[in-house]
Amino acid sequence: MKKIKLWLARHLSGKHAAVSVSILAIILTLITAGILLLIMGKNPLVAFLSFIQGCGLAPKANYGGGSGMLSDLTDFLNYLAPMTLASLAFIVGFKAGLFNIGIAGQMLISGFTATVLVGYSNLPALPAKILVVVIGIIVGGLVGALVGFLKYKFNIHEVVSTIMINYIISYLTGFFINNKFVDMLTRTSRICSPASRLTLTNIKIGGVNCKLPFGIVIAILMAFFVQFIFEKTTFGFELKGVGLNKRCARYIGVNVGRSIVASMAFSGILAGLAGVTYYLGYSNTIIPKTLVGMGYDSISVALLGNSSPIGSIFAAIIVAIFQQGANYMSSMIGVAKEIASLITGILLLYASCGGYMQMHARSTLQRETDLRAQAEKEASANSGMKEEEK
Amino acid sequence: MTKVFTDGLSFAMPLLIMAIGAIYSEKSGVTNLAIEGFQGFGAFIGALIAILLMGRLGTSSQLVLYVAMAGAAVGGGLYACLHALLCIKFRANQVISGVVVNILAVALTTFFTSAANSAINGTSSNKFILGVSTRFTVPVISKIPWVGGLFTNMYPFEIIILVLALFFWYLMYKTKYGMMLRACGENPQAVDAAGGDVEKTRWIAVIISGALSGIGGICFAYSLLANFSPSIYLGYGYLAIAAMIFGNWGIGTTALVCMIFGLAKSGGYQLCIAMGLPSNYSDLFLMLPYVLTMLLLIFFSKKNHPPKAAGEAWDKGKR
Repeated sequence: MKKIKLWLARHLSGKHAAVSVSILAIILTLITAGILLLIMGKNPLVAFLSFIQGCGLAPKANYGGGSGMLSDLTDFLNYLAPMTLASLAFIVGFKAGLFNIGIAGQMLISGFTATVLVGYSNLPALPAKILVVVIGIIVGGLVGALVGFLKYKFNIHEVVSTIMINYIISYLTGFFINNKFVDMLTRTSRICSPASRLTLTNIKIGGVNCKLPFGIVIAILMAFFVQFIFEKTTFGFELKGVGLNKRCARYIGVNVGRSIVASMAFSGILAGLAGVTYYLGYSNTIIPKTLVGMGYDSISVALLGNSSPIGSIFAAIIVAIFQQGANYMSSMIGVAKEIASLITGILLLYASCGGYMQMHARSTLQRETDLRAQAEKEASANSGMKEEEK
Repeated sequence: MTKVFTDGLSFAMPLLIMAIGAIYSEKSGVTNLAIEGFQGFGAFIGALIAILLMGRLGTSSQLVLYVAMAGAAVGGGLYACLHALLCIKFRANQVISGVVVNILAVALTTFFTSAANSAINGTSSNKFILGVSTRFTVPVISKIPWVGGLFTNMYPFEIIILVLALFFWYLMYKTKYGMMLRACGENPQAVDAAGGDVEKTRWIAVIISGALSGIGGICFAYSLLANFSPSIYLGYGYLAIAAMIFGNWGIGTTALVCMIFGLAKSGGYQLCIAMGLPSNYSDLFLMLPYVLTMLLLIFFSKKNHPPKAAGEAWDKGKR
């Protein structure tokens, strides 16, 4: 038992501490979820397997006509794209010490604007798709910049302002959709034109229907771009400086106010991209007055990925497996699919304790070295005394 | 016009009790964005107890409401222990902890509402139907024009909240514990030097915060929504936090702000009806409290004095 504890402590404070903490959080989550499933009388291993099968990462027992493992996998990638972008949006704000809780709202307003301006027009495919991305960037960036400006100029905590803006956006877009753009049959907004959609649907690959999401390319490119900004540019360094210590950043000559606005704008841009890849890619319609849960899931992803842009891709895969595989899991073993959100919440809980785990690991190691040093000292003192007796 | 005051008060009172909860936590030095989660989880426990009791006592019994309120307070208080554990014991970032607690509350209550419903009556609905609490009108005073609306069609819980608010005002400003609590938020080192227990004081404050928020949540469930479902997460917890900020962390001023919020909400709604607009337009008026909050924050946030030590984990070795 003690050996396991020491081994764990060494890993948690060693060179790959960040990865170890995330992996430990995942293992603890799986154990907790497993216990929960056992209490409900289900086999956790079957449940976890069906999560993976539902995402096309493992073959299912049987497939319906025209679909196969590849169609599940492309579906999964289609979902992964906005998830990764949303978590990048959170990371950019977080590095500068800001909590962008309003990602869901920023996604909604950019998706709505792009749908109305481009999705209902008859533009040909290429300019439509480019315009959609540009609109996502502009609208998301503007909302983000507004939040940053409110924080810098009027000292309004960004968590409160983003939540308020979330509700304002939700009601405002809901009002317009219900009055102007509603599809009477589905009670959601009318679907956007296939030309403007960032995901190509009904592509035949190897005889099965697949989707071709451009979003995933954008997402991975953006992950490397954000990594580059924070590792190699002065701008990224300044943002990190503001996040770590505002006063220190001011003393070394960083314009703190400008950095706050810039990082929120950047965060909003990424959220806007997530919005267009969600509403004009993963989906093709908007449910009025509903904010996607992805806005909050992205926070779990960012914390699990230890707010590293590249790490967030892997973390997004983990969370997306639960969210996207929930439907199939639910149909297989009959557990309500809301359990996916519960598992994500538990994951977030453990991930947020990462700092404490590391601190605890360090103090355990420190105590161990102290004990060993003391034992050695006593041993040498004892042997010294024995020699004297001789 | 009287209806504006009636509805305004019935919205303002639950908001006030949640805001007082937020004030307790923040004054003790624990930043609390978890009010939304506390109120939802508290309301969930209260509603669960109410549903179980209604089977025994019949749906019309008003006793259920009071038991549910007590249950909501206990549930909210217990759930608040999670926030306290993360912030005080584990020294996690308090803003992150608040967000975690909120997200987990939504997931937990949504999942277990469905689970409880299928266990109790075999349906897969995600709602506990509660109904609306009975109302009463204070005889003479309610005849006063306009302001009389405050005393017309009152919910019983408004009285309970008023009593609780007065009690917690007294506890905060007139007792030794309240003094220590406020000191913990300003200068915990001084409290420690004077022989106080900072961590214990903060634990109690956060638990009080959870209990009061839970009461606020169940009152919304019993008046505005008439059921418990995931739609209880309407952001009123954040509205309470905004009221606290605008009220400059004082209980009296915050009460005034809550009343303004309540009147803005009901006033907007009545205006919508008076102008004869179709019901589609109600979305625009539902937006009003949030817009008003933003505007008020813009004008008043600069002059605020939040508790100095809020947001920092208590570190005994630090000076």
